Amino acid sequence: MVSRFWYGLAGLAVLLAVMEAVPRLGLVDPRFLPPASRILGELGALLATPELWAALGETMRGWGIGLAVAFTAAVAIGFVIGIVPGLRAATHSTIEFLRPIPSVALIPLATLLFGASLGSTLLLVIYASFWQVLIQVLYGVADLDTVAADTARAYRLGWWTRIRHLVWPTALPYVMTGLRLGATVAFILAITAELVIGSPGLGLEIQLAQSSGAVTTVYALVVLTGLIGIAVNLGVRLLERRVLAWHPSVRGEVPA
Amino acid sequence: MTEPQQAPRRPGAPLGVRLARALGLPVLLVLAWWAVSATARNFYAPTPDTVARAFAETWFGHRIADDVLPSLGRLLAGYALAAVLGIGLGVPVGLAPRLRAAAEPVLEFFRAIPPPVLVPLIMLLAGIDTAMKILVIVSGCLWPILLNTVEGVRALDEVLTDTCRMYGIGRLRHLIIRGASPQIMTGLRQALSVGIILMVISEMFASSSGLGFTIVLFQRGFQIPEMWSGILLLGLIGFTLSVLFRWVERRVLFWHWSHRA
Amino acid sequence: MHHSLRKPLLRLVLAGLLLTACISCGSSGTTTTESGMDKVNAGVISIVDTAPIHLGKAKGFFAKQKIDLTITPVQGGAASVSGLVSGQFQFAFANVTSLFTAKEQGLDIKVVANGVSSTGVPGKDFSAVLVKADSPIKTAADLAGKTVSVNQLRNIGDTTIRAAVRKAGGDPSQIKFVELPFPDAPAALQNGRVDAIWVVEPFVTQAISQGARPIAWNYAEAAPNLTVALYFTSSKTDPDLVRRFTAAMNESLTYAQQHPDEAREILKTYTKIDPELIAKITLPNWPTEVNRESLQQLADAALADGVLKTKIDVSELLP
Repeated sequence: MVSRFWYGLAGLAVLLAVMEAVPRLGLVDPRFLPPASRILGELGALLATPELWAALGETMRGWGIGLAVAFTAAVAIGFVIGIVPGLRAATHSTIEFLRPIPSVALIPLATLLFGASLGSTLLLVIYASFWQVLIQVLYGVADLDTVAADTARAYRLGWWTRIRHLVWPTALPYVMTGLRLGATVAFILAITAELVIGSPGLGLEIQLAQSSGAVTTVYALVVLTGLIGIAVNLGVRLLERRVLAWHPSVRGEVPA
Repeated sequence: MTEPQQAPRRPGAPLGVRLARALGLPVLLVLAWWAVSATARNFYAPTPDTVARAFAETWFGHRIADDVLPSLGRLLAGYALAAVLGIGLGVPVGLAPRLRAAAEPVLEFFRAIPPPVLVPLIMLLAGIDTAMKILVIVSGCLWPILLNTVEGVRALDEVLTDTCRMYGIGRLRHLIIRGASPQIMTGLRQALSVGIILMVISEMFASSSGLGFTIVLFQRGFQIPEMWSGILLLGLIGFTLSVLFRWVERRVLFWHWSHRA
Repeated sequence: MHHSLRKPLLRLVLAGLLLTACISCGSSGTTTTESGMDKVNAGVISIVDTAPIHLGKAKGFFAKQKIDLTITPVQGGAASVSGLVSGQFQFAFANVTSLFTAKEQGLDIKVVANGVSSTGVPGKDFSAVLVKADSPIKTAADLAGKTVSVNQLRNIGDTTIRAAVRKAGGDPSQIKFVELPFPDAPAALQNGRVDAIWVVEPFVTQAISQGARPIAWNYAEAAPNLTVALYFTSSKTDPDLVRRFTAAMNESLTYAQQHPDEAREILKTYTKIDPELIAKITLPNWPTEVNRESLQQLADAALADGVLKTKIDVSELLP
């Protein structure tokens, strides 16, 4: 409904108003919480500097490469595990143990191996996104329609044909969900790695701003990361919709 | 974290076979690790027995009381607070369509901010001790719980709503909370992984105790086996918490069709 | 089955594989000879202490020794050491306690040149412990039972502070150390979150300008003329390169010592310190000789405090 959009806009306006009023009225010390107008002004000024775009580029590079590697590996491994009989049961316990390991646990290891460089970012991003995609791929491969599977067997279709025409289309919605979840996680971990380890990117800029006491810059950068997070999510959803344009009715999405 | 993967159930598989399946690959991996680390002799890749010994020496002792339990305590406190706030706020927002439409963009924005980024911000406002760490955990866990509660309440079946009103059944407990609970559990599950991440990160910044801090201390002191033992411990904690959560979820959602299937 | 809709995903997968191939093309900093110069990557923290290497590079001392020097900023001593061990850096700068810790763990470290030393003069040094103006703490001995912030636990800060407290007659075992990065310390002191802070320049001058009062000069009081940090490499580095780097480094140290104004100027290029502050801060000493006696005293103190677990003979580290 059209009015939803206006309500949403109103909500945002209220947020801005509150964020403007609270520091100005002195409810919170403006040294620690600058008014919204100043934050947005700082953000605008930052966007005019090449350094910010360089940092943004570094973040997206870590995000992009890490996501691509994790996605490719997870799809490949997920398909193999899902299709080869017996592998799923054999790997179940290992996956269930490794999966909940928080990727931030690898931060000290990354620091030692790669220092404050892209390698650290990639280690964290790949590890975290891999599991997100893998789980979804495994679901997708397992979700095979039994009638279709039997039909394929009855017609004695070869395994490659079966993968192309049977498994792949069934798994595709799950794969796209995995991509979306993986993309979000990849962004979070990229920023985290830069923030904590110091590899180049927006996270590092936030940490430097905080160390120098540039409070407004910190807030401005935080707002920027939120906006980019939304953009990433929207972007992948758009891709998802295009790839799955033929599949809206059978949108099998496992609750994330 | 997503829905737990169910292993293909083969009723009647003997216990021995099931154990072999569960332990087979892990044992193989540990042996492979042993072989690689023993031959490669890389400073950063200790052998499993070195790590195991470091684990026993490091974590059984005063560290449990000084670092592990306080960290877990903070996690629990932050998580519980986020759950109360998230569900408490999510139900009214979910029930009022106009309020929901207004709040949704704002909430989605806050959820899109990578939680660790809020740590420097919260440090500015709340200092460096326990209050800051709990606040950090709340700031990350709140959004998945809140948004999923709103979603769950919103999607309540209208027929059920009308039936309840007709029969005078208490709406809040029986309809709203119960009806939205699958979605709320989803939110709680997501929040748990975020919470663990934030528990570790909040202790890597200007901290003097805690799990995250101890692991970083080992890393800075180049005590590699101890560092690996810390990573292992974090993995065990993550695994245990997810198992615990699944157990609770199964009890709470025993009536739901997805668990009955 | 529509073939056209598989294409986007196929493209995605192919792109993924391509990108995977591309990362493996990335290479780390290695010493390759280029027009006769050796490419060297040095991991150095961006603080006042490291002005000489920046000054030396600007003045061409390294180019004179046929070294094409790149200075990579790091966050701390631990990052320098791990960067060196992993091969990212050929030379690095770290405080002596980080080096002791690394040596104790069996890492391959070899000192090549002095880094920075204390002025040795309490009251006029580049590192101090400060309290709020109205604090009841008057001397180092009063720190017992109080909360003191250091930038990294189990490192040179707490070791030297304990030594200073011992010298003043206090009990160092009762001090509660907390970790706080230098930039955050002055504000934390003013907000009352800690009882005392340990900082180095420019934060010493910054804290004093905010009304803080120095009560101990830990570098100067821990041991006479303490060597605080060193430049080091691994034993695998080419000995001729080591000799040339050391020569360039010593020339840089001497030049910085004799031209403090130029040292202050170079600070503006690699730190974000306010220029007004730069003019007021106390500069450290940059002698070329390493004070072995002071290092051994510090290593023994660290052992007594439990920061180190084994006795270290510092001559094993030094050239």
